[in-house]
Amino acid sequence: MTKKLLNKTSTVYLLFSVMLLVVSAPLFYYITNRLYIEETDETLILHKNEFLKYSLPTLTTSEIQNWNKYNRNIKIEPFNNSGNDTIFYKSYYDTLDAEIEPYRELNSSILIEGNPYTYSARVNLVEKEDLMKSIAILFLFIISLFLVGLFVITKRLSVNLWKPFYETLNQIEKFEIDKSNQPNFIETNIEEFNRLNKSIEKLIKKNTLIYHSQREFVENAAHELQTPLAVFQAKIDTLIQNADFTQEQYKMLSSLNDSVSRLNRLNKNLLLLSKMENDIYNEKQTINLNKAIEKHFDFFTEQAKAKYLIIKTDMKEAVTVKSNPVLAEILISNLFLNAIRHNVSGGKVLVTLSNHSLTFSNTGQLQLLGADKLFNRFSKSNPSEQGNGLGLAIIKKIAELNKWKISYSFTNNLHSFSLAF
Amino acid sequence: MKLLLIEDEQELANSIQTYLKGNSFVCEVVINTRSAIDKISTYDYDCILLDLMLPDGNGFEILKELKRQSKTEGVIIISAKETLETRLEGLQMGADDYLTKPFHLSELLVRIQALIRRKNFKGNNVVSYKEIEIDTLSKTIKVKGRKIDITKKEIDLLLFLIGNENRVLPKSAIAEHLSGDMADMLDNHYFVYAHIKNLKNKLKDAGCSDYIKTVYGLGYKWQND
Repeated sequence: MTKKLLNKTSTVYLLFSVMLLVVSAPLFYYITNRLYIEETDETLILHKNEFLKYSLPTLTTSEIQNWNKYNRNIKIEPFNNSGNDTIFYKSYYDTLDAEIEPYRELNSSILIEGNPYTYSARVNLVEKEDLMKSIAILFLFIISLFLVGLFVITKRLSVNLWKPFYETLNQIEKFEIDKSNQPNFIETNIEEFNRLNKSIEKLIKKNTLIYHSQREFVENAAHELQTPLAVFQAKIDTLIQNADFTQEQYKMLSSLNDSVSRLNRLNKNLLLLSKMENDIYNEKQTINLNKAIEKHFDFFTEQAKAKYLIIKTDMKEAVTVKSNPVLAEILISNLFLNAIRHNVSGGKVLVTLSNHSLTFSNTGQLQLLGADKLFNRFSKSNPSEQGNGLGLAIIKKIAELNKWKISYSFTNNLHSFSLAF
Repeated sequence: MKLLLIEDEQELANSIQTYLKGNSFVCEVVINTRSAIDKISTYDYDCILLDLMLPDGNGFEILKELKRQSKTEGVIIISAKETLETRLEGLQMGADDYLTKPFHLSELLVRIQALIRRKNFKGNNVVSYKEIEIDTLSKTIKVKGRKIDITKKEIDLLLFLIGNENRVLPKSAIAEHLSGDMADMLDNHYFVYAHIKNLKNKLKDAGCSDYIKTVYGLGYKWQND
């Protein structure tokens, strides 16, 4: 599964924040608790030392009862062999609040007038709980604020930071090598992105150059071939006028003549393709497809006779499209030719024209054609066939120029080429 | 009939010259713009065949020169360049026809004939061959004075055959002539065969002699023997 870059960083931040919260909350509680207890213990020891220094020397056994009466938290109790100072937790029932409350208590042995007693001082820990609660809430609030802030800032920052990247991405997505819209990258103040843009620019320039020189080569080659082909054709035309040929020689001449015709057609189609690539046919008009189909209908019906084909049409009235008229004509005749050429004897051709599509279906070999290479130049399903392998490439190119979608399917033993406009 | 062929490809020029010679055409060849302009300034021609790409300039200059001198020669451009623009430009500048290389010599010949017919015999568009009379304008045929029922394509074929009298016409040339831009033919052997057969039958039914001869493996020939 792919995610957007920014979502990916945000997710990581979010995960980190949650983890931090989960781990830090108990840790924080533990540490604060410990610190509080330490402070409490120190207070208890301080109180004890004060007692030992200021109260104990003057205290008499008879005053113990009074002492205990006025001191709620420091009491002198009968000796219970507590030994050295011991500090521990203990709960007392608080009559005022009517509940059991936790205390921290220090017990210590003291001598009053030579008799052993136990010094017992305690500190109520209820305050601690409140304090802890407040601290925890505050802590959570601050840390949440911090994380949310961090999250928002990084998100904003990332969006800004990655903006040039997304712009570059958009430009590359829009780029088509056979169109003249060169991408125009905006200079950024981030070195890496500038490097990226520069490399892409270089790559595109180089590839465009190669593409253009290749295109030029095809065009020049096709053009340059015209003249020698013309000489070839003219020589054959002159040669066959010679009356005294043997049958063998006639056969040879005939195949020579067929070959030069094929060469001529091939060259014409190559020229047509390179002309289309050079945007020579960019002028568009409104074309009535019904008329365009009907115009050549007789011709193709005639062509279909050799194979005893039946051509059927199913056309809606007056379907118009925007296209170059020359190309529209070439498109239709190529679709017809394709449907007739790859047909079987006694088969049929179906032409369906609706408001948004034109489909040519034909009988033919009983299997799906390799759809991936079908529209490539010189891709032939059967190498021995008559066609030059450019027909479908031309159809595709014309569809592309008109921004129509071409598709191929094989259903009910019919090969269908469909144009959606 | 006098023709001027302006073509720098010597071999092609030779073939055209040879092919046209048989049809009472006198064909002069020049290989550049300069000598072409010399020729057209000095002589009158029935038709000029003009290649656009010449070593010392563009064929359009010759068209301009013809216009400047108010010459009315028919011009057929024969060019390897085939874009709609050059075609339109050529026709706008006074050329009468445009033939893209490579072409069949038989095609060139009938184009020349058609052009000369248009230029020279204003109002009279009848091509005759023995008992056959073809009105190229109204597209009708009379055999021995009687009109026969015939399609436009068959008239086209007949004109092509008669125009190339005594010449072997390969099936590909006939097919290309009949289908025009639809050069990417399927089974032109059958296509041509069917048309020839129909034409033959129609002429025969009208009592016409059989002038269409089959040339083994290659094509057909219009011949009177």
